[in-house]
Amino acid sequence: MIQRQRNKKRRWSDYICNGMTYGASAISAIVLAAILFFVFIKGASSIRWDLFVQDYWPSNYSITIETDKNKVGEFEVPTSLDEDAYFSKKWGIVLKDEKDGEESVVMTQIVPDSPFHYLLDQSVKNNISSFQWKEGLMLEKLDYVDKQGNTSMAGSLFMQNAEDIVKVLDEDVTQITSMYVKTKGGGIRGSIISTFYLLGISLLFALPIGVSAALYLHEYARKNKVCSWLRSMIEMLTGVPSILYGLMGVSVLFPVTQMFGATTTNLLLGGLTLAILLLPTIIRSTEEALRVIPQSLRDGSLSLGATSSQTIFKVVLPCAIPGILTGVLLSIGRVIGESAALIYTIGTFINDSPGLLTQGTSLAVHIWSMMNMEQPNFEMAAAISLIILAFVCLLNISMKILSKYWYRKWN
Amino acid sequence: MKRKKKIIADKLFRTLFLSATLLSASVIVLIILFIVMKGIQPFLPQYEHGQVSLFSFLFGTTWRQDQHIYGVGYIVINTLLTAFGALLLSFPLSVLTALFIAKIAPPKLAGFMRSVVELLAGIPSVVYGVFASSVITSMVMQIAQSFGVVTAGGNSFLTVILLLAIMIFPTMTSLSITAIQAVDKDVELGSLALGATKTQTHFKVVLSSAKSGIFAGAILGLGRAFGEASAVAMVAGNKTFGPTWNLFDITRTLTSTMLTGLKETTGVDYDIRFSVGMVLIIVIFLSNGILHMVKRRIGKIK
Repeated sequence: MIQRQRNKKRRWSDYICNGMTYGASAISAIVLAAILFFVFIKGASSIRWDLFVQDYWPSNYSITIETDKNKVGEFEVPTSLDEDAYFSKKWGIVLKDEKDGEESVVMTQIVPDSPFHYLLDQSVKNNISSFQWKEGLMLEKLDYVDKQGNTSMAGSLFMQNAEDIVKVLDEDVTQITSMYVKTKGGGIRGSIISTFYLLGISLLFALPIGVSAALYLHEYARKNKVCSWLRSMIEMLTGVPSILYGLMGVSVLFPVTQMFGATTTNLLLGGLTLAILLLPTIIRSTEEALRVIPQSLRDGSLSLGATSSQTIFKVVLPCAIPGILTGVLLSIGRVIGESAALIYTIGTFINDSPGLLTQGTSLAVHIWSMMNMEQPNFEMAAAISLIILAFVCLLNISMKILSKYWYRKWN
Repeated sequence: MKRKKKIIADKLFRTLFLSATLLSASVIVLIILFIVMKGIQPFLPQYEHGQVSLFSFLFGTTWRQDQHIYGVGYIVINTLLTAFGALLLSFPLSVLTALFIAKIAPPKLAGFMRSVVELLAGIPSVVYGVFASSVITSMVMQIAQSFGVVTAGGNSFLTVILLLAIMIFPTMTSLSITAIQAVDKDVELGSLALGATKTQTHFKVVLSSAKSGIFAGAILGLGRAFGEASAVAMVAGNKTFGPTWNLFDITRTLTSTMLTGLKETTGVDYDIRFSVGMVLIIVIFLSNGILHMVKRRIGKIK
């Protein structure tokens, strides 16, 4: 009787304990779901193709049309015309109202052989060059000659919307003297380029050094005190917060980049700092790969008369490539997500045309800049977060595939 | 002749690999050396921008860059409070989740939870920051309202704790999983043979055998909580005096101090950041040392 009661009590406590583990796991899953849900809801609407190809800073142009094409024509209405878009029959251009913070009129489409194919950029005086029409240009102001031969003005600067401007274009304009257009801006093209710069530089330095160090530690090093010291010193790097890497970057590596002519924080500095930050990751994953390679392969190569360096380059390294690749994927993930170390070393100024020795922002630092403006731009921050998360997922999946393939190879 | 060349090549590569190793190992020395070297500058009498007193720096309770008052004492306390608060919240959850994944869950669910933990680990800290500064802050604001307290837009001590708890969770969980899986199968079977139920075995035998590894995970998690910068800086609120005891009041941590006002590139405001970095290194070292001692104690008593 007592036994049974005890068993019952036991069962209940077991249920409670098990339930607790289920609950804890559920909480973590819910947190992840909440993060993904939030990023998606907030950011998905901002993700358009323009985002990837546009500059961050808007730029202004004063443009005109080539003289022999600058006249009224007759154009067919394009078949795929949105309901809220307006088409000018005489100039062959589609205008649309857009409310993105402030109201603007955007040129969305031009029909073939519209005069707008022959644009000239006259922003710089005495240096008129041809100007390529782009979808999404905002038409701010339009100077034109009307039917009576007087010059007149129209455009969104005069509180006119797309419908008004199309009306003016079709009924009044005989010749366009000049147009004041603005690109939209808000894009992340520059930050994407900077991110690639950082990836390139950091892997270029971290990969050879990291793989060499792993080779030494695993293939050459004897098991003595010095080597275990070296090993634990490298291990300690994994516990160093990334912000301290940033401090180290500006104090140790900045003079190095100064030798190449850097005057401010720059992408080279960021890349070098990241290279150091990546070293422990690459060393560890390479060593793990080396550990799995059967000793018999090395012995076989050595007994056939190969030297130890030949064995390493022709037998050991090719076998370790999947492991090194895992390290590279991990590194790419770290570079893309890193922010604290980079805020110090590349600055937070969003640069549309980044170079090796200029400032620029990686995607993560771009988010940081968006969040640190006077009015934090949550939509953009979430949109870039979504892009980063998609990339992280992709990396995770490819890492899983890689390790599966690798596992099969040796087992 | 050919043989000689080969031997030279061998030696050359060996030296090359060795120098790469030495370079990698020297990084930790470089980091500490340079941060300390730059960090003590403001306290030296010949410092060009006006000496800062080391005592008032270490024990000060006000940080006003505009008035050139730099007191990091309360910031250290805030950092410790937020990190340990996060640990307190996250540790039980992560151990339970690890036990779930390693022992209790059916294989498919375990695989799914593993991916959840991996994904959480893969999310960059800025993304956590964006999430915290809109979702967690509004949550905290509602909680504060129900207590009748007003928060500074949700930026608060509590927000930082919640954020850090989420961020250190995957680190601790994955280390705990490894520790639990490394427990000798015989120990488990012995417990079962003595009549304990599976759950009792998991909670009483497996967890206590894995406690050393689990504790190592907690130490690593705590280190991450100390050093987490960009996400914390987004929600800390940067209080100018302290320490902060009220959960709904804004706070300031070492890392958020290091990331505020990055405009200047020279002067005290710039150099003092290295001093704060130096304090961060000391905090991490000391807490790691103490915890490792505790860990050894725990490991001994079985």
